[in-house]
Amino acid sequence: MILQIISAFFATFFFAILFNVSKKELGYCGLVGSLGWLIYLFIFKWTDSVIFSNFISALSISIISRILAKLRKMPITIFLIPGIIPLVPGAGMYKTMYAVLNQNFKEAAFYGAQTFEIAGAIAIAIIFISSFDTLSHKKTK
Amino acid sequence: MDHKLLLNFAIQAGEIMLRSGAETYRVEDTIMRILSVYDFESIEVFVTPTGIIATIDDKNIEMTTKLKRINSRTIRLDKVALVNDLSRKYVLGKISLQDAIEELKKIDKISPYQPLILISVTGLTSAFFTIVFGGNYKDFLISLSIGIILGIIQRLFINLQLSRFLADMLGGFLVGFLALLLTSIIPSTNFDNIIIGSIMPMVPGVAITNAIRDTIEGNLLSGISRGVEAFFVAISIATGVAIALKVWLPF
Repeated sequence: MILQIISAFFATFFFAILFNVSKKELGYCGLVGSLGWLIYLFIFKWTDSVIFSNFISALSISIISRILAKLRKMPITIFLIPGIIPLVPGAGMYKTMYAVLNQNFKEAAFYGAQTFEIAGAIAIAIIFISSFDTLSHKKTK
Repeated sequence: MDHKLLLNFAIQAGEIMLRSGAETYRVEDTIMRILSVYDFESIEVFVTPTGIIATIDDKNIEMTTKLKRINSRTIRLDKVALVNDLSRKYVLGKISLQDAIEELKKIDKISPYQPLILISVTGLTSAFFTIVFGGNYKDFLISLSIGIILGIIQRLFINLQLSRFLADMLGGFLVGFLALLLTSIIPSTNFDNIIIGSIMPMVPGVAITNAIRDTIEGNLLSGISRGVEAFFVAISIATGVAIALKVWLPF
């Protein structure tokens, strides 16, 4: 588990380089990614619900990114985009595709629905935090 | 004050941000703020992922509109941050228009990370994600080599200006094929973990995040188009991997 969290740090760190994030911010991107994954693993162990763990993790990632954006005076997306990447349901997509390929439509429907639910949970979490964003910058206008 | 110069500066700042993967609403907001420095009677800005239109009008000037079409987009989050910073400095009056224009030209010329770095980073991203999703050290090494090959192929596709969707489909096929080939040669490895980890560098993270954030800000048109982009990229990758599996599995 510790190995996974350390790997999440490096995975997010290197992913941020792919998106040309400037050198000074790379460490913070890695931090957001590994914290998000830590929270995901923790909640998953506790509740055993994939959707709920994704939701809470995405919520935490958005909050951390927001705080970092304020501290570092950067657009929030610098931290949010790499940070959220480990949660993107690539595995769900792959399993859905694999089941379709094997004509196992029952499994395909299950994984397909789960993938959409995860994507939805992440979206709602980001929306939730970004809405506060909107509130505060509308006020300052 | 030269209003054309100001409009040009605002649009160019917006263009660089939009080309580099900023959210559409952020681009709209930035242009709006730059133009609001002078109290024009009316300022209208309309931005979509593929173009920018801005109009300014006042009693003393002729109504001026500028349209800028955005054709190619690359992900340069460093430029987004720098232009964002520059526009803030300009709006707060810390920098003159002339200096800001010079600064903007400099930002646009900043080069991305070296191709060699990007290629090795593609490999490392694949490798570490394989561990995150439960792979062992052998899976790690296989993903590392697949990722490096993927990185080289992606550079090649960019130079050939291949369509994003075709490039991702071929990338998915390559990942699937190499994963199956290497796992069949090397014992105690798991091709699921390797494939899931190795497709991560192709995941449309910017499109997904921006689709959500644009929708929230009421930029519905951009939200939908970016959502569709993300969806089709995902389908392209999955199709590529599926073709590899379909070709390989009967053997």
